[in-house]
Amino acid sequence: MNSPLESNVLFLLGPVPITQAIVTTWAIMVVLVLGAFLLTRRLDLRPSRRQAALELLVATLDAQITETTGASPKPYRGFIGTLFLFVLIANWSSLLPGIEPPTARLETDAALALLVFLSVIWFGIRAGGVGGWLKSFAAPNPVMIPLNMLESVTRVFSMFVRLFGNVMSGVFVIGIVASLAGLLVPVPLMALDLLTGLVQAYIFAVLALAFITATVEDGQTKAPETAPAPKTALAPSPTNKDT
Amino acid sequence: MTLDVWGLGLQAVNVLILVWLLGRVFWRPVAGAIARRQDVAQAMLDEGKTAQAKANAALHDVTTTRAGMVQEREDILAEARATAEAARKVALAEAQAKADALMEAAKTSIARETETARKENAARASELSIDIAAKLLDQLATPLVQAAFLAQLVKAITGMSASDRAALVNTTSDLTLVVATDLADAEKARIEREVAEALGGAPQLQFVTEPDLIAGLELRSAHFVLKNSWRADLERILKELKDAA
Repeated sequence: MNSPLESNVLFLLGPVPITQAIVTTWAIMVVLVLGAFLLTRRLDLRPSRRQAALELLVATLDAQITETTGASPKPYRGFIGTLFLFVLIANWSSLLPGIEPPTARLETDAALALLVFLSVIWFGIRAGGVGGWLKSFAAPNPVMIPLNMLESVTRVFSMFVRLFGNVMSGVFVIGIVASLAGLLVPVPLMALDLLTGLVQAYIFAVLALAFITATVEDGQTKAPETAPAPKTALAPSPTNKDT
Repeated sequence: MTLDVWGLGLQAVNVLILVWLLGRVFWRPVAGAIARRQDVAQAMLDEGKTAQAKANAALHDVTTTRAGMVQEREDILAEARATAEAARKVALAEAQAKADALMEAAKTSIARETETARKENAARASELSIDIAAKLLDQLATPLVQAAFLAQLVKAITGMSASDRAALVNTTSDLTLVVATDLADAEKARIEREVAEALGGAPQLQFVTEPDLIAGLELRSAHFVLKNSWRADLERILKELKDAA
């Protein structure tokens, strides 16, 4: 067994090494996009079971976003929902024989953490402007600025490490057990890995949403007069209706 | 342990592309479908509220109309009661008038019939009393009564004018002396003599007996009757009673 900390380069695309995780990610992207396209081809006012399941997924995600942010879910739905689906499918891809989940690799988890870090900045500036985003580090008072700046990095780093550690360890343990005890013994561990993958995907998405919400709220409460008007309405909406 | 920067960047780009693609082909269409359904449901709710408002307005109109109909019914009933009461009073008055007229006519008829009956009864009573009196007087037809009637006859003849007495004496037809019972010849001669003396002449007298006279002596000719009997008196009394009744 290779070291879980080393990537298996399949081929080079110019100077760029294409690892198995990247190829698996591409496959997951194709599956998700094609699946989404096929599932959402005929959406009607009278929903089928398929459409009802899709709407249940979206409605649940919107409810989760609304409960966490207290604002309309529209600006966050695409990013948070895609993070959740990608991490979930990536985690569960370990069930396919010969497939190593991309989230069991440092690059993928680091990339996801980097996107969360950037999204916090993006949504913070979008909601309160640059000044509002910068002043969000002064919450609850300017003394906390160094700690807040350090926290903005460490919390994302902790997400990255948590996801990598859980997924990688699960894959590693299953690999070890499978190599030692045959085919049936790893099944309970694989089932546990399913649960772990779901929980990790949920935690990753909810933490990302919580970080974004904290930055947006801090930026708005600290600089309500100097910050430009937010491009999106973040006030609690009576309905979740958006297009 | 090494971190592949190329791999990190490529994965970040991959996830960004996936976020964009899923936003286009999954999140937005499904959220749009939910929003459309919410719009349709809201439109249906609004339409339902509008229909509810219309129904409430229609119900209010119906309630108002029904209240008006009830009031109109009460008015019609009150008018009908008033009309019926007036008609009843008119009919009652007419019936009362008819009854009064009938009672008046009945009273008049009863009075008339009573009067007629009373007169008839009186007449019958008079006739009966005359009959009774005649029967009683018939028992009193004595020569004394006969003499009194003769005296009255002579007195009546004497009270007549001379021309009337002369006309009776000179009459061509026979003078008749009507008596109630057959008289003896001597009595007839005495009566004939006193009558002739009263007339002042010598008329031709004939005696006729009529029991109906009861008692008395009457002088009759073709154009003259000198009544002097109880029968004549009773008839006169009866006539007076009838006239009085």
